[in-house]
Amino acid sequence: MAAIRVEGLCKSYGSVRAVDEMGFRVDRGEVFGFLGPNGAGKTTTIRALTGQIEPDAGTVRVLGRDPTTEPIETRRHVGILPEQGSPPSFLTPREYLEFVGSVRDLEPSYVAERIDRWTDRLGFGGKLDTLHTDLSRGQQQKVMIAQAFLHEPDAVLIDEPLANLDPLVQEQVKRFLVAYAADDNAVFVSTHNIEVAESICTRVGIVADGRTVTERSLEDPPADADPLLEVFLEEVTDAEARDLPASARRIVEDGIDDIDEPNREATEP
Amino acid sequence: MTPDADGGGDSRGSRTWNDDSRTRLLFAALLREEWRLHAGLFGGWRFAAFPLVVAALAATGAYALLESVGGSGLTDETLLLSVHLLTAGFGLYSGTAAFAGSDMLENVFGELSFLLGTAATLPLSRRRLLGLFLLKDALFYAVVFVLPMAASGIVLAPTASPGAIAATVGALWLSLSLAFAAGMAVTVAAIAARTRGVPTWAFAAAIAVAVAGAWLVDSVGAAVRAVVVPFEAGLPVAAGTAVGTLLLAVVAVAAYDPTYGRPTRTVGDRFVSLSDRLPLGDGSEPGTNALVAKTLLDLSRSSGGVWKPLVSATILFALVAALVGIVGSITGIEPAPGVFFGGVLGLSAFTTYNWLTQFDDLEAYRIYPVGIADVFRAKRTAFVLVGAPTVLVPYLAAVGWFGATLLDAVVGAVLLAGYGLYYYGLTVYVAGFDPNEFLFDAVRFGTFTLGVAVALVPALVVGFVVVPPSIASGTALAGAGLGFGLVGYVLSSRAGPRWQRQYRADR
Repeated sequence: MAAIRVEGLCKSYGSVRAVDEMGFRVDRGEVFGFLGPNGAGKTTTIRALTGQIEPDAGTVRVLGRDPTTEPIETRRHVGILPEQGSPPSFLTPREYLEFVGSVRDLEPSYVAERIDRWTDRLGFGGKLDTLHTDLSRGQQQKVMIAQAFLHEPDAVLIDEPLANLDPLVQEQVKRFLVAYAADDNAVFVSTHNIEVAESICTRVGIVADGRTVTERSLEDPPADADPLLEVFLEEVTDAEARDLPASARRIVEDGIDDIDEPNREATEP
Repeated sequence: MTPDADGGGDSRGSRTWNDDSRTRLLFAALLREEWRLHAGLFGGWRFAAFPLVVAALAATGAYALLESVGGSGLTDETLLLSVHLLTAGFGLYSGTAAFAGSDMLENVFGELSFLLGTAATLPLSRRRLLGLFLLKDALFYAVVFVLPMAASGIVLAPTASPGAIAATVGALWLSLSLAFAAGMAVTVAAIAARTRGVPTWAFAAAIAVAVAGAWLVDSVGAAVRAVVVPFEAGLPVAAGTAVGTLLLAVVAVAAYDPTYGRPTRTVGDRFVSLSDRLPLGDGSEPGTNALVAKTLLDLSRSSGGVWKPLVSATILFALVAALVGIVGSITGIEPAPGVFFGGVLGLSAFTTYNWLTQFDDLEAYRIYPVGIADVFRAKRTAFVLVGAPTVLVPYLAAVGWFGATLLDAVVGAVLLAGYGLYYYGLTVYVAGFDPNEFLFDAVRFGTFTLGVAVALVPALVVGFVVVPPSIASGTALAGAGLGFGLVGYVLSSRAGPRWQRQYRADR
């Protein structure tokens, strides 16, 4: 059984069709990358997966539950890392993680042990008693990553996992996500960053115009497989290309092989 | 958009703007943003109708006040003082917009996306941007809020000639706008001083000295009144107040340090101990204690701490006490203090709830296994824990100061509790998680005002007519308090599901 399954998902806001017949599945053991340009329907899909919105049509299942009818039970069993950091809070990271442990009904001793492990892993032990409002964005992101995994969920939904993190911590988080999925968990990663997707995902779905336009396995790709960036660019529809700046449109039209030519001419002495 | 005469541009297409053009451009953009912000939030007509609601409320309030004191019309001194005090108080509150010029507001509301934030990315002076932002605010409120209040005076002098009415209303508008600007300038100056390291206790001491001076020394009181009510102070004094306000504002903006930031704060772990001590029992949902504890810690650690709701309630108490004193001195009629203050002080439920929702938003809770109804329930518990002592102190001061009878004090206490819960439920049901924003929505503001009036006006009438309250009137009022309290409880319980439906439909 798929950990996450979406079929025929539709959601409109007024006359705007944000998601249109979206479909994909994520199995345990996978890091699934959800790639798409701005406005492709990624955020709306994540909101449907976490029960924040009621879809107009379609089926959504997360760990066997319907988030539309069981939003709280669904969120109890998954970890969620939103793209936007939490709004400023006057709790410290230690208190915030205790708060998350309480709303998730976890034993205090278990929470304390998990806090130690995560501060060790991401290196924010020195900031455990600093007010969240006074932390840098990178430190805040570390705390948010820790909260998403505090209860060791079977599935995690992550929006831009590496935002604001320094390269060293980015590498740690990437490795952790891969290892976490390998431990029979499902990791769903929504990102704009193709390099991130290539480095950690076992499979990606490319979304455009509110639907999944193609899926591709990144495990053991054939030697002659097109680079992911090229696949991504090919899947950008004409409609979306119209909204792109002229330079980006040229990239879409010409393909990545030609990307550097004009720039090289422009920058040569 | 006019470039300089010599500003034809360079090879990169940039144009040279002089200071005046840039200032005009910025000011126009800020005004446009303000309009679109409110029109976008509520829909154009709901925001456009807001001044009409203010005018209607002001006219009704002025009429009721004059009826109660037997006043002489638009220029009645009781009315003038009341409306100017209210406007100056709103100016003091609006001056807190100056927080928007520093990182301090970002700590409260997060990353700002307004034009005010562009000083970080564009070649604009942060001080100039802040000054224009505050000027825009002053002009905006002078038109949207103060002008309707002044214009409502038309209904008080229906028989005067149109020219005379226009002249009086115009003068009243200028006078009220000056009182508003003076209040705003004082707050901005205080914030500027804070960015220069002036300690909090110094502000508290200055306020205490000013209040004591105005209260105890007649000449100081008269001077304060002249500043607050320019309308009756005469043109020279009003002109002096205008110049003084302008100078204070200029000095405040010049002294403002936009780089001010608080040092990093570290604190010990209070969450678990507070959460464990909350008296919610084992039957509550998992996480309820945690949600309440988080709200209380956010409130207590933000600027002003747990004192903020008390200050808000005390300001309300001071305004009402001053009004009762004025009415009493003119007419010889004083209301039953328990009933009167019990009914009115419950209105601090709005400000207390506002403080409790300043530091989070509903979106943030959607990553946890809690429902919106759980969050609203936790806010209600926090409201009771914070709101009860907040209103109890000024209420006890009122019944002690004005010498309430035992029955009056008991009935007033029941009214205070019941009406406080009712006003709370009404606020939560109408405004959801954003009580501040709904102020400029004509429909929501009108609904809230009507809901308040339905409960408060009859109680105040009884409080004025039956002094001290009889057993019969006291029983009726206590019954009203309990009844409206029950309505408030039901409203606050239904607010969660209501806003959950709305939230899921809108997002």
